[in-house]
Amino acid sequence: MKTLIVIPAYNEQENIANLAKEITGYGYDYLIINDCSTDETAKILDENHFNHLDLPVNLGLAGVTRAGFMYAHDHDYDCVLCIDGDGQHPPVFMSSLIKEIQNGSDYVVGSRFLLKKKPLSLRMIGSRILCFLIKVKTGKTVTDPTSGMRALGKKVIASFNESMNFYAEPDAMCYLLHKGFNVKEIQVDMKEREGGVSYFANPLKSIYFMLCEILSIIFIQ
Amino acid sequence: MSSGLRLGLLLASLGVFLIIILSVIRRKLNIKYSIVWLLWALLSLAMSVFPESFYALSGLLGIQLPVNTVFLIMTALLYALTFYVYIMISKHNEEIIKLTYEVASLKKELDELKKKNEK
Repeated sequence: MKTLIVIPAYNEQENIANLAKEITGYGYDYLIINDCSTDETAKILDENHFNHLDLPVNLGLAGVTRAGFMYAHDHDYDCVLCIDGDGQHPPVFMSSLIKEIQNGSDYVVGSRFLLKKKPLSLRMIGSRILCFLIKVKTGKTVTDPTSGMRALGKKVIASFNESMNFYAEPDAMCYLLHKGFNVKEIQVDMKEREGGVSYFANPLKSIYFMLCEILSIIFIQ
Repeated sequence: MSSGLRLGLLLASLGVFLIIILSVIRRKLNIKYSIVWLLWALLSLAMSVFPESFYALSGLLGIQLPVNTVFLIMTALLYALTFYVYIMISKHNEEIIKLTYEVASLKKELDELKKKNEK
């Protein structure tokens, strides 16, 4: 099965070289997408001859993953796996996600809380709200809707390539469940960021993100 | 409507009309988008020249002051126009993502070809 690892990277000069070297070790095709970083990310990618796209303008995470899906669609890949460029998704778990796609799932999500208990932080309250909404809308139970570590089968790549209204992971997941795709979660562990700054460091952005997701899950997907 | 308001509306709509035409001539505004604005200016021109029609409309709607009818129409039109602009923004957003991807992947292919030629 032709598999592509998509790695969005925005200002990840500390992490990206290590991550890319680790992923190359597994032998899958990979594509790093540099979202118009303002630091040395582009230079590092060039010097190490990593397979990468340099976007001429900053698109944000949703746009970058779209670009990754377009690339996968153009090059006729059967499976796409998204891994964050900040090093929080350990590549050890890649093969187990890809194996599930091979076994016939359309969409596989690496969940932090399938077998482990969810902590009671502010962010996890947000996660619980999204779980509840997805349960109400689709009747299916999910444990980690915001997880960015996910694998897509061919049908899902084609559908994500077309539509503009998958703002982020939770509503994409809700859409697929609602449409009756075969969605599966498997347990993975994630690390804290190794460097750089998270998009969700800004509380206003988190609130905006939650509002978009709630609206999208209830009315759109 | 007072005669002062009528005169003001008349002058303003004539001014707007001129600005729109000049913008198109100076290639600052696309003709496609100027039509909406020209219709807008014509409407406010009509309002100031024939206020009687607005008195009749106000009576029909049960609005006591005709000037409020003018405000109502203006607000509704502004809403419609703003919504149209948001739709255009969404469309452009989508086009930008596609174009950005195309540019990036062409650049990648070009770089690879260059490297091949150097070898």
